[in-house]
Amino acid sequence: MANYFNTLPLREQLNQLSVAEFMDISEFADGVSALKGKKIVIVGCGAQGLNQGLNLRDSGLDVSYALRKEAIEQKRDSWKNATDNHFTVGTYEDLIPTADLVSNLTPDKQHSSVIDAVMPLMKMGATLSYSHGFNIVEEGKQIRKDITVIMIAPKCPGSEVRAEYLRGFGVPTLIAVHPENDPQGKGLAEAKAYCVGTGGHKAGVLRSSFVAEVKSDLMGEQTILCGLLQTGSILSFDKMIEKGIEPGYASKLVQYGVEVITEALKQGGITAMMDRLSNVAKIKAFEISEELKAIMRPLFQKHQDDIMSGDFSRTMMEDWANGDKKLLEWRAATGETAFEKTPAGDVKIREQEYFDHAVFMVSYIKAGVELAFETMVEAGIKPESAYYESLHETPLIANTIARKKLFEMNRVISDTAEYGCYLFDHACKPLLADFMKTVDTDIIGKDFNEGKDMAVDNQELIAVNEAIRTHPVEKVGTVLRTAMTAMKAIKTA
Amino acid sequence: MIHSVVHIAQLSLQYAHHVVLDGLNWQIHRGEHWLIGGKSGSGKSALARALAGLEKTSGIVQLFFDNTSPLPPRALYVSNWYQFTNLEGDRNFYYQQRYNKQQKDDTLTVYAELAHYAKAKNLWLEEVEQYLALFDFADLKNTQLIELSSGEHKKLQLIKALWLKPQLLIIDEPYTGLDKSSRKMLNGYFDKLAAAGVHLVLITNDADLPGCINRFAEIEHGRLKQLDSVLDLSKDAGRVQKTLPLFLKEKPNVSAEVMVHMENIHVRYGDKVVLKDISWTIRAGEKWLLQGPNGSGKSTLLSLINGDHPQAYANHIHLFGQRRGSGESIWDIKERLGIISPEIHWYFDKTAKVWQAVASGFYDSIGLFRQPSYDKQQKVNQLLEFFDLTEYKDRVITTLPLGKQRLVLLARTIIKNPPLLILDEPCQGLDHDQTEHFNTVVDELCGFGKTLIYVGHYETHLPSCLEKKMILEKGEVKTIQDITELVY
Ligand SMILES: NC(=O)c1ccc[n+]([C@@H]2O[C@H](COP(=O)([O-])OP(=O)(O)OC[C@H]3O[C@@H](n4cnc5c(N)ncnc54)[C@H](OP(=O)(O)O)[C@@H]3O)[C@@H](O)[C@H]2O)c1
Repeated sequence: MANYFNTLPLREQLNQLSVAEFMDISEFADGVSALKGKKIVIVGCGAQGLNQGLNLRDSGLDVSYALRKEAIEQKRDSWKNATDNHFTVGTYEDLIPTADLVSNLTPDKQHSSVIDAVMPLMKMGATLSYSHGFNIVEEGKQIRKDITVIMIAPKCPGSEVRAEYLRGFGVPTLIAVHPENDPQGKGLAEAKAYCVGTGGHKAGVLRSSFVAEVKSDLMGEQTILCGLLQTGSILSFDKMIEKGIEPGYASKLVQYGVEVITEALKQGGITAMMDRLSNVAKIKAFEISEELKAIMRPLFQKHQDDIMSGDFSRTMMEDWANGDKKLLEWRAATGETAFEKTPAGDVKIREQEYFDHAVFMVSYIKAGVELAFETMVEAGIKPESAYYESLHETPLIANTIARKKLFEMNRVISDTAEYGCYLFDHACKPLLADFMKTVDTDIIGKDFNEGKDMAVDNQELIAVNEAIRTHPVEKVGTVLRTAMTAMKAIKTA
Repeated sequence: MIHSVVHIAQLSLQYAHHVVLDGLNWQIHRGEHWLIGGKSGSGKSALARALAGLEKTSGIVQLFFDNTSPLPPRALYVSNWYQFTNLEGDRNFYYQQRYNKQQKDDTLTVYAELAHYAKAKNLWLEEVEQYLALFDFADLKNTQLIELSSGEHKKLQLIKALWLKPQLLIIDEPYTGLDKSSRKMLNGYFDKLAAAGVHLVLITNDADLPGCINRFAEIEHGRLKQLDSVLDLSKDAGRVQKTLPLFLKEKPNVSAEVMVHMENIHVRYGDKVVLKDISWTIRAGEKWLLQGPNGSGKSTLLSLINGDHPQAYANHIHLFGQRRGSGESIWDIKERLGIISPEIHWYFDKTAKVWQAVASGFYDSIGLFRQPSYDKQQKVNQLLEFFDLTEYKDRVITTLPLGKQRLVLLARTIIKNPPLLILDEPCQGLDHDQTEHFNTVVDELCGFGKTLIYVGHYETHLPSCLEKKMILEKGEVKTIQDITELVY
């Protein structure tokens, strides 16, 4: 199979990359009617499969699960998830032929073999949906011409998809129709209906394309962002240990700090995160982040280039074929890092302290998020798509680190993201080696403000604030966050 | 001083700009067991927490423990609201998560939790059995914390407290959510503890107290005021009768004669049977009382009606004339009913403000995601006025006294004038007067063609409009009967 993107002429590549239309809620006025009374069969009942299915059923749609034979025979967790919640469960042969819509929610790595098994059983004219477009774009899977291919990609973990739905809300979602497979022109209507069924329409929906979703997701969540947080955590921790900070404190400052810092990011973008620092610290953080951006930019660009050319996915798939040799090796190495092995100490750290004692971390996150965004936009991805795959994802990933450090992050994210994470981390650390020699505990481990008279130059502060606030990721972020939180804001106003 | 257990002098406490305790003095001597009651919002819980060292106060709080006693020299505060965390140690749960089955353990089991507690507090795990037996808890040992009902959570809190037997035991609203028999047993047990050397401080306005309680007080203007008996406690100002806003006098749109029809309902989790062969028909306009001991399946039964339970799809249930699972969405169902329960309260958005919380009732969402129309805004204002909540409209709900919080949730529930009202232990945690106030409001509301399902433990604490009752026991229907006025 050939990489789909690479088969396209440049004109069409650019065309598909640039699909990013923020949809108004009025476009969802038809609700779930395009799927009403139709049979939806979900393949796989894991994090996304179960939670999307629960929502779709609660929205009045007919949902059942097709699982592979082994899962049913061995009563695996996926089988229990589905049967305990009283869904009909059957084999591919039982259920796929009856389906009007088949939703493939198995791990991305398995997509090719799952589609090979499922597609021959699908009804003429049925619909196939995905929550991530890797299989179509990077593996270039060809789908029968009578089948409609759509994507509904919630930009949150499965448990959030359910929790937000039950609150009467939803999570931001990308939807797309594959232009090669929309024979009846029903793709968009069904994608919208599916999205309503999961509650996504209430939190902001971006009309995207398979290509735009994959190229931005691979760059964002799957490589840079996880890698960024991993590298930042390890470098910060190691520096503190080197400089004699108490290990328990250092471990806690990093483990929970990434979550606290990115919570500000989530609520009010880079601006809010930087505003948590004192003026002197903010100016310092700005300077550091500019320096970091200059050092890391070539690496970000290389990653983006490899993703665009398909080299990234090709080498990753080679590793799959090779029994995950590299992945397993890298995973083991991460488990051995000092940060991972040092438990968080039983010390109290105030919320503000996580900022004041970690100016380096704040600068580093700012640098990483802005660079990811800039690099994607330069590569032809629209700012809206780039926002979701940079700033929006970062706090979600940081939450997993707060739970159980890097191990947890790498367990929760997909194998593909884990692979990308290590790849980035291993290239980034040497790149920053010289810079790290200049870092001392004033920016990581101790209070930056301590002993300073806190005076700043007006002009300098104004210029720094201006630069932070007018960055393009802040402009698009303000608009998208408003839609996402909708009226949530008036609650605390 | 030698016979003091507690010496408090010049204790002051402020929340934001609100003075709660103001130079309070208090001595607890050996052999004294205190009841602290009085008006809501007077600072009872704050004092209790300060006594246990859980509040930042100014002044002196000294505890004198008896070194010769075998009981642990410590103070334990049992809060009026339970808390538990997931395995990762945070409280990241969502409403009704306990009904969605996922093949991973979200929380510890009861037994694991107790084992944890034993280790932390140096207790013998074997000993806990007798306390489990006291509260009929032995069957729940392998249940995950998230699966417990609110009454069961309360019991678990008490089990831990009784097991620890600290020299000073402070319990905030000890009877919340307990059924009659547990309550009686508990009072007997308090007397035993007192005899063994535990000093009790109970925070409640309940008059049905253990015999050992021999000191009574309330807080007035931030200071302690000792009273002669429980009868002298001040009461919240009585409610001034107000007329119901016009929009709530409109007879709700009833689409079907039969609101709820269930036939031979079965619900089980693994081997544990929660509901067994239940059939129940509720006609439009009927007012039902649903009762049963803690853990008898009441909340599960109600969750089948309000659209929250996945097992509704596997059972024969008609709601508002439509078969469940025939293409309706849970939002279609929720639109037609209003519900409050301890669980909704527990999961409710901690940052929500009163006005917005009430307005969110139009959309059945937790959190307000839309700007309500002018007409809807007016309704919110009228309803807040009716409930005497206008002055609190910009406050964050969780900063109000529990009784007021419940009224806010009731207002949220009825704002859309739903045909069916489900009030699942709406008065849990409220004292006698607050309960009476609440129930009068329920009576006023239900006069206009509404159908009601009300869950409450105490016969004396019920709205008077109830006409039929169903009693559950161990997941089965024990009785269905009419209520005649003389039942109470
Ligand atoms: N997780 C996220 O945050 C997220 C967000 C957006 C989109 N997505 C996308 O959603 C999709 C599903 O991801 P997920 O995280 O939900 O995966 P997951 O939790 O790992 O679940 C995968 C499910 O597929 C089944 N499965 C695994 N291998 C299979 C095979 N060879 N054949 C058939 N079934 C197989 C598994 O059950 P058995 O092993 O028991 O058969 C399991 O139920 C992916 O495309 C992913 O990119 C994920």
